[in-house]
Amino acid sequence: MANLRDIKNRIESVRSTRQITRTMEMVATAKIKRAQAAIEAARPYALSMMEVLGNVARFVQGASHPLLEEHGKRERVAFVVITSDRGLCGGFNANILRLMEQAVAEERANGAEVDVIAIGKKATGYLRYRGVEPLASYTDVSDRPTFDDARDVALRLTRTYEAEELDAAYVIFNHFRSVADQKAELHQLLPIARRVLEDSEEGLDLTPEYVLEPDAESVLGHLLPTYVETLIYRALMESAASEHASRRTAMKAATDNASEMITTLTRSYNRARQAAITNEIAEIVGGAAALEDA
Amino acid sequence: MARTLLCEVVTPERVVYTNEVTMVVAPTVDGEVGILPLHVPLVSVLDCGEIRVRHGDQPDEVEWIGVSGGYIQVHEDKVIVLADDAALASQIDVERAKKGLDLARKQLEVAEDLGEHEHGRLERDLKWHEIQVAIASKDD
Repeated sequence: MANLRDIKNRIESVRSTRQITRTMEMVATAKIKRAQAAIEAARPYALSMMEVLGNVARFVQGASHPLLEEHGKRERVAFVVITSDRGLCGGFNANILRLMEQAVAEERANGAEVDVIAIGKKATGYLRYRGVEPLASYTDVSDRPTFDDARDVALRLTRTYEAEELDAAYVIFNHFRSVADQKAELHQLLPIARRVLEDSEEGLDLTPEYVLEPDAESVLGHLLPTYVETLIYRALMESAASEHASRRTAMKAATDNASEMITTLTRSYNRARQAAITNEIAEIVGGAAALEDA
Repeated sequence: MARTLLCEVVTPERVVYTNEVTMVVAPTVDGEVGILPLHVPLVSVLDCGEIRVRHGDQPDEVEWIGVSGGYIQVHEDKVIVLADDAALASQIDVERAKKGLDLARKQLEVAEDLGEHEHGRLERDLKWHEIQVAIASKDD
């Protein structure tokens, strides 16, 4: 039978673990709200951006811009992989890394060289452990991403793409569908799909007589890189919100498990204590009976 | 009441300014443009600089907004400024802006050997800080 004191220690230990997981759960809940608010705050810019892009695109029908052109070869492909800096968030990072392995293996099988830009300590650590040095590694951004971070990543990609040193770029991140539902997804960044321009033309209020300064091509030339930046920024924010949501779910499960464990342990503790008492009584009665017989 | 323009200044991270105004002056790469109500539809690329927004007839009814570059779209009395970064003059902390400027200068000095990528970023950063200091002192 388990020792009474052992069980008691065990209960204490589980209880303090529960305290931690519960706190993390509450912190994550608060952070989800903040991350969602950040996504909301970015919406006006993204919408206006699409509107302007749509307006400009119509003036440069069949426009050519290096970021729109497919290279007709596929020798070098880049992946931007967004993970978290900290663990204890369920399958959040594992899902991303699995998707990355899949995509990378596919590109390699097709004979392309693969570069990875790692965002978050988890992706960096994962790659380094396997002897792969990421093209660039960003840490301490995943919790609270800024547009500057996104711009930096975008600039690396657009520069090399324009120099034809890169033939395609993708971003892999956790899409925040709802608090209870996040999914690892792969989106194309470069070349910019032409349908982005066409889609944005529909459903928007467009007037034909726009004056474009300095001229249509240079406006488009400025807008397209910014478009890539907003895509990456969006992915970073989605990922941040997903991270907190995922951590909350994981911590809630941990807290529930701890509570259940405490209940079971308390029950065996009581049973053990009762058994000890019964035992003692039996001994006393036995002793008394022995005296009477004498 | 005279016709007004709806002016919105948004950055990827937040909405910086939104108000009914009578005139907007913005720094485009081709020089400053002044926008009054009934302006022709326009899309233009903005330079790093200051936007002046007038929302009344009095001389002090002017708002200064620093922008680090971006786009401006004018359409049917609605002015949308898509700024990379923007700050209202009245909300800039002068001391902090000056510290940021000093830091940006120092970083640029030691950045010569960091390559084009990093250097370009720091140069933009420096210019943006200069603008902030310039308009912050104007507001006083």
